[in-house]
Amino acid sequence: MRWLGAFLVLSGAAFLLGDYHNDVYRKMLLWVTLALGYNFLFGICGQVSFSHFAFYGIGAYSVVILLFQLHVPLPLAILLGVAVCIVVALAVAIPATRLEGFYLALATLALAQLFVVLLNEGGDITGGTGGIANYRLPAMLGLQIRGPWYTGVIVFLLLLTLWVLVKLDRSWFGRACRAVRDNPEAAAAMGIDVARTRVAAFTLTSALAGVAGMVYAFVDNTVNPPIFGLENAFLLLFMVIVGGSGRHAGAVIGAVLLFLLPFWLSPLVGHHHVLVFGVLMLAAILLQPKGLIGLWDQCRHRFSR
Amino acid sequence: MQASILEVRGLSKRFGGLTAVSELAFEVREGEILGMIGPNGAGKSTTFNLIAGTYPASSGEIVFKEASILGLAPHQIARRGILRTFQHNRPFEGMPVIDNVLVGAHRLFTKNSHAEEAVRRSRAEELIEFVGLGGLAAADVGTLSFGQGRLLEIARALAGEPRLILFDEPAAGLAPAELDRLAEIIRGIAARGIAVLLIEHDMHFLLPLAHRVVVLNFGAKIADGLPDEIRRDPAVMDAYLGSHAAHS
Amino acid sequence: MQDFLELAVSATASGCVYGLIALAYLLMIRPTGIINFAVGEWAMVAAFGGYVLLTQHELPYPLGMGIVLAFMLLVGWVTERIAVRPLVEKGAGVLAPILALLGVLVITREIISVSFPPDPLPVPFAVDIQYYKYFVIGITLAVFVAAWLFFEKTVWGRSFEAVALNRRAAALMGINLSRVTAFSFAGGAAVAGLGGLLVAPNISAHYLMGVPLAIQGFTALVIGGVGRVEGALLGGLLLAFAEQFTIRYAPIPGGFAQGVPLLFLMIFLIMRPTGLLKARA
Repeated sequence: MRWLGAFLVLSGAAFLLGDYHNDVYRKMLLWVTLALGYNFLFGICGQVSFSHFAFYGIGAYSVVILLFQLHVPLPLAILLGVAVCIVVALAVAIPATRLEGFYLALATLALAQLFVVLLNEGGDITGGTGGIANYRLPAMLGLQIRGPWYTGVIVFLLLLTLWVLVKLDRSWFGRACRAVRDNPEAAAAMGIDVARTRVAAFTLTSALAGVAGMVYAFVDNTVNPPIFGLENAFLLLFMVIVGGSGRHAGAVIGAVLLFLLPFWLSPLVGHHHVLVFGVLMLAAILLQPKGLIGLWDQCRHRFSR
Repeated sequence: MQASILEVRGLSKRFGGLTAVSELAFEVREGEILGMIGPNGAGKSTTFNLIAGTYPASSGEIVFKEASILGLAPHQIARRGILRTFQHNRPFEGMPVIDNVLVGAHRLFTKNSHAEEAVRRSRAEELIEFVGLGGLAAADVGTLSFGQGRLLEIARALAGEPRLILFDEPAAGLAPAELDRLAEIIRGIAARGIAVLLIEHDMHFLLPLAHRVVVLNFGAKIADGLPDEIRRDPAVMDAYLGSHAAHS
Repeated sequence: MQDFLELAVSATASGCVYGLIALAYLLMIRPTGIINFAVGEWAMVAAFGGYVLLTQHELPYPLGMGIVLAFMLLVGWVTERIAVRPLVEKGAGVLAPILALLGVLVITREIISVSFPPDPLPVPFAVDIQYYKYFVIGITLAVFVAAWLFFEKTVWGRSFEAVALNRRAAALMGINLSRVTAFSFAGGAAVAGLGGLLVAPNISAHYLMGVPLAIQGFTALVIGGVGRVEGALLGGLLLAFAEQFTIRYAPIPGGFAQGVPLLFLMIFLIMRPTGLLKARA
């Protein structure tokens, strides 16, 4: 019931906004979706990864290539796109999570770099540096979803992602993830397969990012390499840390704040808002490791006394 | 006499040229408290880590419930029903006490249902009560004292309903009053029919508590018997006094 | 054959740069366990330093190089003070400083991108271009010999390891932890900076040059293993040879060569997670 209410409110808002604001709104919702998934991987399972945004790109490119280059029907294209994400995620995570340390961070950093190279060098398949444009979401059951109605699809995706992650977080799997994050050796001593838990969390969140990417592909109706660069992977990490890692609400706050910040900052600092992000993130780690949500908790605590 | 639940035969561990444990053999019987003592560097911790799967053994055999557990990873050993505590407390710092204990029950979860979660949760609350942390279920683990942290280690291991529980120097760092409480808890665990293997440096804590005692020195077993026999064994006193004399 | 030899020399020179970056990681990982991905950005900062001093102000090469390296020592020291020490003192574990250093990475890059034009900027060769590769190889060998002597032969170098193995024992032995940490960061920054300065004439100073270097350097470290200093150089050489020979002899577009580190990394993680050389017992 609460989920339905949230869906109606969040998608209803789209009908009140003009075209430009609707576009901003949709992208913000997508960022929140990505931050939620990344929070599960980083904040809850404790894995530093830089490939979350690359999987967003893999999802987007897969669905577009499958639909418009290979002419696969939409439902099959979605399934195949998810399958591609899962296979790539497993190929990276299985070797990289076998060991303690930050090998996953490095492997995903390399993967994210390589992905952009592949897009640029992919010739006709990926459209090279220009990417692929001028396509439209195929009609489903004779319906062409567009405008604010497509925002409803994004809201649905966001809530579905949140629902899946909340369910998982409250299950024994979520607890195992937190245990692995806090103390892998003790987690293993309690019967948790640390490597498998890490691989599962990485693969699952990467697949969720891939699905978000598929939805994104029809927001701008264009996919091109610069969108999926490494910059945005860092931004995701910063969103989660500034908002408060390990908390769904923290991820939402961080994503909304860091997404909107450039709009307010641009009169002051032009295009150099990333500098502000870096400073914010450094300040968060040094001064407020629990992020804004932790700050909010402290305030509430003080006032309730 | 009770049947044995854990049998160790001819167990050896070499680190490079150093033999930490050599040709060690002993057994833990159902429901008993087996104490393992020895001076520093006698190979107690290595033995513990070999059973828990932290190190691979160089040779020998470890049989738990009539199946070999040699070469299994720590999580596989835990899943078979051997759970452990850590000498230096290793709580999951981002979780409240109750969730720490629930992680211990990880191996028991079979499906993802609310009913199962509820059962485990109320069981975890009982265990928190049992070890004497009643009222702290929702507390942040960072707020616990060192002694309370040790009790949490025990509750967490018990949550997995082990057949055998391994204690790694549980008395280390505790105050005298806490030691009495700890001994009482360990007796309570054995009374529940759980076998206990207790590795301990402190003889005064261990001897009144253990049903049987194995004494190690220089990686080998030098004595094995009832606590009273161990007390009177000259070889044991030699090992302890000798090493104390050498250290001080 | 001529072609092959030329390729081997140029691969050796690139391998030296990767090795220096790997050594910079190693200097910081040994005593602290902290993986500092900002080493790539430090290399980038030094490359821009080379542009300012050597290209704009036309200082003689040894003087310019000396100033850049001294500046890098300072950068490393300040970074440790601001982003690492407060967290270490709080007992925050190893992840927090690693993340803080990612913040430093982004801040460093943005400061450079704000301060300089976005195009690649030229940095001059130290010696005639014909001999420059040998110059790179010579300097790198000298640095590695010095690092090897430092770690193996001096009490100071051994104390670096003592801290890595057991911080508490090191404290008991009277090793000044915070001083070791500060020196490791200053030294790491200088070595990374040297790598950046040496590679800059070939690829030009550009604000995006850091991340690829950070990846290549770390891959070299994984290949060589963190156990031994010479492993870093060996790892760098192996990686560079693999990259250059792939580009030269395999029928794939040059851009794909960037995939070689990833491939190598995966292979080594699966086959030989401790690296090529065995750590000393």
